[in-house]
Amino acid sequence: MTGADIIAAAKYLAAGLCMGLGAIGPAIGEGMAASHALDGMARQPEMEASLLRTMIIGQAITESTGIYSLVVAIILIFVA
Amino acid sequence: MSGELGKKLILHLKVGGMDIAFDLVVMAVAVGVTLLLVLLSWWLRRGLPQDPEAPPTRRAALLAAAMELAETQLLGGYPKRLARDLLPLITTIFLYVLFCNWVSILPIPYIASPTQDINVTFGLALMVYAMVHVYGARERGLKRHLKSYLEPYPFLLPMNLIGDFGRTLSHAFRLFGNILGGAILTTIVLELAGKAMRFPMLAPVAFLGGVSLGTLLNAWFGLFVGAIQALVFALLASAYIHISVE
Repeated sequence: MTGADIIAAAKYLAAGLCMGLGAIGPAIGEGMAASHALDGMARQPEMEASLLRTMIIGQAITESTGIYSLVVAIILIFVA
Repeated sequence: MSGELGKKLILHLKVGGMDIAFDLVVMAVAVGVTLLLVLLSWWLRRGLPQDPEAPPTRRAALLAAAMELAETQLLGGYPKRLARDLLPLITTIFLYVLFCNWVSILPIPYIASPTQDINVTFGLALMVYAMVHVYGARERGLKRHLKSYLEPYPFLLPMNLIGDFGRTLSHAFRLFGNILGGAILTTIVLELAGKAMRFPMLAPVAFLGGVSLGTLLNAWFGLFVGAIQALVFALLASAYIHISVE
């Protein structure tokens, strides 16, 4: 293996680790947001529309960290 | 792999020693979506009766229902006057991003969503950032708007500035990452199916699996995730402007 091969292998490994580890947090966070929104909807079905909208905004913001790791993985594979 | 993501026709221009690349596909599709929206609004506008007392036509009823829905869903917490003021902007952002995301399900080679190009999403996010300041300065006065950066304590000014910057950055990257991630996933599945087709034993399974899974993923990411992300982009734009006018 030459140096270029090692660098290429390290890039793919780093991208995989980055995406895999970075997806854990947003997944747990979004699941918790959805679970609590469902709790609220079951208790107060008349609040469903407003809860759904707030849940989607909250999940979108929670997702940011996952998107950052996706962007870093894309940069590692295609740009770096 | 990246070659399949609609980066084939790039115009390189040298302007004052700087190499500027124009992605012609993205530009053409973005302009096409704009033209589609203009045509749609022209068609809807033409259907409105001239006389306001006349009974509403079907098109007028559709338009009224759509605007009512947009006003309650996208601009829920606003006072009535501001909601009416912001309705065209936020609805246009929503429809533009929605149609840009939906373009990717068209089975035309080289055609990809413009929103998987960082320049498009960053442009939209910068426009929302500008509107945040325009509406903040207009509704609260320039002095109070600038003073809001010194709250709750003046020494938190760097924090507020970084927060502003990161908010716009994540607003752009959220849409970009979601759409590009979906496109990459669909492309990888199709490429894997294509590689597995070379083995005679696996060919039928790979063909059926690749076609069905590729179609399903394309529909999921194009239609469903595209619609959710368009809604999220417009809702966040509305929420950011709401923070600055309060």
